[in-house]
Amino acid sequence: MRFRRTHPDDQFSGSSGMLFEQAMAQTRMAVCLTDPYQPDNPIVFANRAFRALTGYEEAEVLGRNCRFLQGPASDPGTVARLRDAIAREDVVIVEIVNYRKDGTRFWNALHVGPIYDDAGGLVYFFGSQWDVSNLHAARAGEQHAQLMARELSHRMKNMFSVISAIVNVTGRARGLEDAAGEITSRIRALGRAYDTTLEQGAAGSFSIREAITATLSPYGERITVNGPDIRAPFGVISALSLILHELAANAGKHGAWSLPDGTASLSWSGDGGDLRMHWRESGGPPLPGTEPGPGSGTMITDRLLRAAGGQIQRTWRADGLEAVVTLPIQEADLARHD
Amino acid sequence: MIDGTILLVEDEPLILLDLEFAIEDIGSQFVSTSSVAQALAAIERADPPIGVAILDVNLGRGQTCEPVADELRRRGIPFILHSGDLDRRDETIRRLGARIIAKPTSAERVVDEAFAEYRQSGDPVTVPP
Repeated sequence: MRFRRTHPDDQFSGSSGMLFEQAMAQTRMAVCLTDPYQPDNPIVFANRAFRALTGYEEAEVLGRNCRFLQGPASDPGTVARLRDAIAREDVVIVEIVNYRKDGTRFWNALHVGPIYDDAGGLVYFFGSQWDVSNLHAARAGEQHAQLMARELSHRMKNMFSVISAIVNVTGRARGLEDAAGEITSRIRALGRAYDTTLEQGAAGSFSIREAITATLSPYGERITVNGPDIRAPFGVISALSLILHELAANAGKHGAWSLPDGTASLSWSGDGGDLRMHWRESGGPPLPGTEPGPGSGTMITDRLLRAAGGQIQRTWRADGLEAVVTLPIQEADLARHD
Repeated sequence: MIDGTILLVEDEPLILLDLEFAIEDIGSQFVSTSSVAQALAAIERADPPIGVAILDVNLGRGQTCEPVADELRRRGIPFILHSGDLDRRDETIRRLGARIIAKPTSAERVVDEAFAEYRQSGDPVTVPP
């Protein structure tokens, strides 16, 4: 931006001067010009928006250095950056706390730069001010939300730990260690899946891939997972994580993972409003070819899926179980089955 | 099994109890503490001396297990961290540079991990009083 000073005492004359004045009068951006040839670089022009932003009248502004907008909460480092930039005739953009005439603060996105004449000589400094207090508040709000999500995540993990401990301790007191162990392993699977939903708490949905990966994380190298990152409503997460947990627990007890080299893979896809998962074990012990007895895990999986409007088909291959699970993941379906 | 006492530092009584049961199952000796001061005192007094420790990272009221970890390290005693707070305290955790078991994990597995750490660390260094 270049402004031409045609006469030292007539700062904004001619057609460009008229345009300048009209533009300055109308813009919502607060603008001021300062004169570096006068002592202490005072303001020689301030537009209407500048006066509206700061609450000062024109007469109160003209002749003063811009620093009169600063106050106790203005960062000295930022002030020093401004001073240095002005000394070097550099352009600088900072955000600084400024004060209005009535003493209220605002975050000012301040842009300062030199204005030269055609001969390259310094004529003015230009300053534009923009109130970004809302932006700061939003950023602070976002940070606060992140902190809350972390705190919540910590407390939730702790709560899941405590619940597991209660079940274990009660199980011992009643001589039901095995049942207690089964319950706590389910609770922990649920806890791992829920933890992935906190980061996107506002979204109202969760990432299927993250939830699956977290649920199966204790099984490490023995499982490979592969599928698109579909999002599903929160209501699905308990059924999803518990079903995967039962498949994994069964693989460990009776299936492929009961042998040292057995592995399993899980792939999934979105199929209309359904999540379709394909579980395949390999390297497992030879199976009788018929369904094993109705263990509690199998019963829970089947009943849970039925309640969720889904289904499971199991096929016992020579080297391990193959299961195809469908689970409705559309809001409408969930509402119907709630 | 290990030679020595297992030090437990955990401010949540139920989790502590769960760990205690898991250790009782194996038949090892342990000492339970829930604050830095208790833990440091236990390190000083334990007989047989502490062989390995399981430390909850966040001990409430802004306290972390860091002073306990420093003292254990000074004495060459191995330890593992047991924490649900892998994000907020990650600076502390990074600095401690120890094996981390994320909560919730079964008490049996936590104890297994502590024993694995103990076996890997070799004989603890004896520090004169």
